[in-house]
Amino acid sequence: MYWLNPRNWFRRAHPLIVENRRYFSSFSRYIRLADCSFVAFDTELTGLDRRKDEIISIGAVRITNLQIDLGDTFYQVVRPKALARTGSTVIHRLAPGELSMAPAFEAVLPDFLRFIGTSLIVGHHIDLDMHFLNRATWDHLGGVLANPGIDTMRLAQGYSRWHQSYLFQQSTMESYRLADLSRRFGLPSYSSHNAFEDAVQSACLFLLLIKKLRAGGIEDLNDLYKIGYSR
Amino acid sequence: MVAADKVSDYRADPEIVVAYFRKTVPFDQLDEGVLRSLARHCKLDFYPKGTRILIAGESEVNFLYLIQSGAVSKYIVDAQGTDSLQDLRGEGQFFGALGIIQRSRANVDVKTVEDTFCILLPKRYFLELLDTQPHFAGYYLKDFSDQLAHTAYSELRRDKLKRRSFEDLLLFSNTVGDIVQRQAVTVDARVTIQAAAALMSEQRIGSLLVHESGRPGQIVGIITDRDLRVKVVAAGRALNRPVAEIMSSPVQTVLSQALCFDVLLLMLSRGIRHLAVEQGDRIVAVVTSSDIMSLQGNSPYHLFKEIISQDQISGLYPLAQKIPDVVRGLLKEGGKASHITRMIAIINDHVLSRLLTLLETELGSPPVAYCWLLLGSEGRREQTFKTDQDNALVYADPQNDAQRLQAKHYFTELAERAAYHLANCGYPPCPGEVMAASPRWRQPYSVWRDYFTSWVCRSDPQEVLNSTIFFDFRAGFGENRLADELRNELVTLIRRQDSFLFHLARQVLAVRTPLSFFRNFVVEKNGEYRHRLDIKRTGIALYVDVARILALRYGVRETNTLARLKVLADEGHLDRQLAGAAADSYELLMQLRLLHQLGQLEEKGLPDNHIDPADLTDLERRMLKESFRIFERLQTVLETIYPAP
Repeated sequence: MYWLNPRNWFRRAHPLIVENRRYFSSFSRYIRLADCSFVAFDTELTGLDRRKDEIISIGAVRITNLQIDLGDTFYQVVRPKALARTGSTVIHRLAPGELSMAPAFEAVLPDFLRFIGTSLIVGHHIDLDMHFLNRATWDHLGGVLANPGIDTMRLAQGYSRWHQSYLFQQSTMESYRLADLSRRFGLPSYSSHNAFEDAVQSACLFLLLIKKLRAGGIEDLNDLYKIGYSR
Repeated sequence: MVAADKVSDYRADPEIVVAYFRKTVPFDQLDEGVLRSLARHCKLDFYPKGTRILIAGESEVNFLYLIQSGAVSKYIVDAQGTDSLQDLRGEGQFFGALGIIQRSRANVDVKTVEDTFCILLPKRYFLELLDTQPHFAGYYLKDFSDQLAHTAYSELRRDKLKRRSFEDLLLFSNTVGDIVQRQAVTVDARVTIQAAAALMSEQRIGSLLVHESGRPGQIVGIITDRDLRVKVVAAGRALNRPVAEIMSSPVQTVLSQALCFDVLLLMLSRGIRHLAVEQGDRIVAVVTSSDIMSLQGNSPYHLFKEIISQDQISGLYPLAQKIPDVVRGLLKEGGKASHITRMIAIINDHVLSRLLTLLETELGSPPVAYCWLLLGSEGRREQTFKTDQDNALVYADPQNDAQRLQAKHYFTELAERAAYHLANCGYPPCPGEVMAASPRWRQPYSVWRDYFTSWVCRSDPQEVLNSTIFFDFRAGFGENRLADELRNELVTLIRRQDSFLFHLARQVLAVRTPLSFFRNFVVEKNGEYRHRLDIKRTGIALYVDVARILALRYGVRETNTLARLKVLADEGHLDRQLAGAAADSYELLMQLRLLHQLGQLEEKGLPDNHIDPADLTDLERRMLKESFRIFERLQTVLETIYPAP
C-alpha cells in the first residue's frame, strides 16, 4: 500500500531540509550585508572525484555583525565510507587511525545543518564544498540546502575587475588560491592547517573584500551577486 | 574499534589566534590551556584604511584590540579641530586597554592608517586577566607611563636568555659590596714590614691597607703578599723598615656598588688583583680577583691567565679559538652586550700583545719605536664573534737612510708574521687588506700624518667614506705615545677642516631608517639574504657613524661608541636624555646581533649580520623600531649642525 500513495514516491526530506527550503523560499536578496549572518566553511576531501570521493573533515565559523566570532565555530573529522581509499594523508594531514575513530558523516550532518541554520554560506571555491555537502544531505537527509552561497574566489576576481588597483596590474599571472590571495591582500599570515583554519582564513578574506567593496557602494546581497556568487 | 557516533563539542581552537598570543607580550607568558580558551572568546575584524575605530569621548570600549596586521594611529582632536598625533601602533601592538581599565570611554581617536586586521578580546576576559595575572596589570600600566623602551631591556634579557642555574647569575647580579666579607684591615704607615707581615699571617689575609701615620681614616697605600715576596725577600730589604717603603700607592679603588663583572674587567685590563672598595668616600674593604672568581667556576679569567703565560706562539692558536666559548658563557649568563664586547676586546688585546711580545723575541728589538694600531670595530672595542684583522702599524720616523731600511725590513717581517699567526688564531685577514701586513698601512709617523691630512682635507665623498675605519684607531700594542700624538694631530686637523665632517654627516643624513612606515621592516630584496635585515649596516653602523662624527667634531678622544656618547653628554654637546636613549638602543642592537651570531655558531654556521625580523619577539621588534626612531632624532641633531647647503 505504501507505494500506492504518491507522497511516498519520492523520499521524504528530513525536517531540517524542509525547514531550510521553506525559509529561503521567501528570502530577499535586498537584505543589507551588515544584517546578515554568514557561515564560512571548508572541507577536506579524500580526493577531487565528485562521484566517488568523500568529506573527511569539516570546519566552519560564524560571521555576525560583520565580525568573525571565534566563539561560534564547528570542526569535526568524519569517517569516510571507503576508508581504504583515503591514501591521501599527504594533503589533509589526518592519520588513517584518526579517521577510523571518527564518527560517520551522517551522524554529524544534522548538527552541522543546525549550526549553519539560516546563515548565508561563504567559502573559497565554495562550489566544490557545496557539491560534497549536498551529496551527503541528499543521500542521508533527502534534499539539498537552499542557503545562498558566496564564493570568496569569485568575489576576489570581481573585486579585481571592479577595482583595478596597482596590486593586480603588477602581476600578470594572478593566482586565486587562498594562500596567494591572503598574501596579496596582506591578510594575517596563517598556515594552512586544517579545514577549520582554512574556513577562518576564507572568512577573513570575505570580510576584507566586502568591507572594501562597501566603499564602492556594495550594500546588499544583490549588489554582491553582480560581482561574484556561486549559484 | 568502535567509533564515537555521538559528538557533544564541535568547537575548535582558532590556531591563528593562539599562535598570535604565543608570540605577543604579555600573553606569551600564559599557559597554553588559558590561551586556547581565551582564543575561543575572541572575534576577528577587518578595518579598511581610514576607518575610525574609536572616537574620543564617544566610543565605548568593549574590546581590547590586538593588531594582527596593518597599523593604526591614535590622536587627540583639540578644540580647534586639529589632530595631534599621539602614537602609531602596528602589528603585535594593541589599543583600547586604557579605556577598559579606567572603565571610561575612549580617550583618544583611533584610526587605521592601513588596511588592518584585529583580534578583539572582549572586555570582561581582559579584565579577568588583569585581575588574575599580576604581570598583565604591570605590563599595561607600564605602557601607559610610556617607559617601555627603557625598561624593556631588562625584560628582553630575562626572556631571551635561559639561565642554567642561579649561581651563574652572580657575576652580573652581585656588587662588590655584596661579596666582600670583612672590614678592611689597616696598619699605620710607620709600622715595620715585620709587624705588618705578622698581622697578615695572624689574620690570614693576603693584603693590608696602609693608612697615614696617626690618621686611621686616610688610606695611602696597599701591601700584598706579592710585595713581601718581591720587594722584601727577593730584594733583601730589612724587615724593620716601615711598610710605607714597599706599599703600592695610591690605592686603586672601586665603588662598592660596582658590578662584580665590571670589577673583574678592570682587574683584567690593569693586570692587578687587589682593589680597595670605597663606600661613601671611605675605603671599607679590599676585594681580590679570587674573591670574584670564587663566584664563577669556569671563566674568562682562566683563559686570560693562560694567554699571558703562553711562551709559544702556536700555543696561542687554541687559546684564541676558545674566545667564542667564553663569550657564549657570558652571554648566557646575562651579560650586557657592551660588557661582552669589552671583554672580547680585552682578551683579543691580550692575544695580540702576547703574540707581538713573542715575535719581538724572535726578531730582536725593533730599530725604532712602533705602535700597533687597531682600527674599525677593534679600535672601538666593539668586536663580536666575527672579527677580521683590521689593523695598521705606525713607527717613529727613522733618523737616517740606514735606519729607514732597517725599519722597513723589520716591520715587514713583523707584520707579515703577525698576520699569519693571527689568521691561525681564528682572526681572518681583512678582505679590504686594511692590515699592517699591507705596505701601505705600515708606515712611519709622518706618512700617517699625511694620510690623515689628505683624508680630512680632500672632500671626495667616496674617499671620506672609505677612510672612516681609520678614524676609530687606538693603540693595540707598543708605544701608545705614537697613537696619542696621531690622535692629537687629528683633533687639530679636524678643528681646521670642518668640511670633512660635513661630508660624513650628509652621508648619515641621507640614510632612511629601515622601516617602510613601520608596517614591515625593509629587508634585503635579493640574493642570499632575502627578507633579512642587515642589523649592522642598517642599525649598528648608523649609531657608530653619528657618535664618530660628533666625537671628531668636539675633539672627544674616545673611540668606543658608548663611551663617545657618554662623553658627548657629559660635556654638554648632546642632550643627556637623547644620549642615554641612544646608548640603550645601541646596546640593544648589539645584543640582538650577539644573540643572532651565537645562535649561528651553535648551529655550526658562520656568524653574519643578517637577522630575520620574523625570528624576533614582539618586544624585540618594538624595541628595534624604537631604536630607529631614536636614530632619527640623532639625525635631527646632525641636521642642525650640518644643514644642507
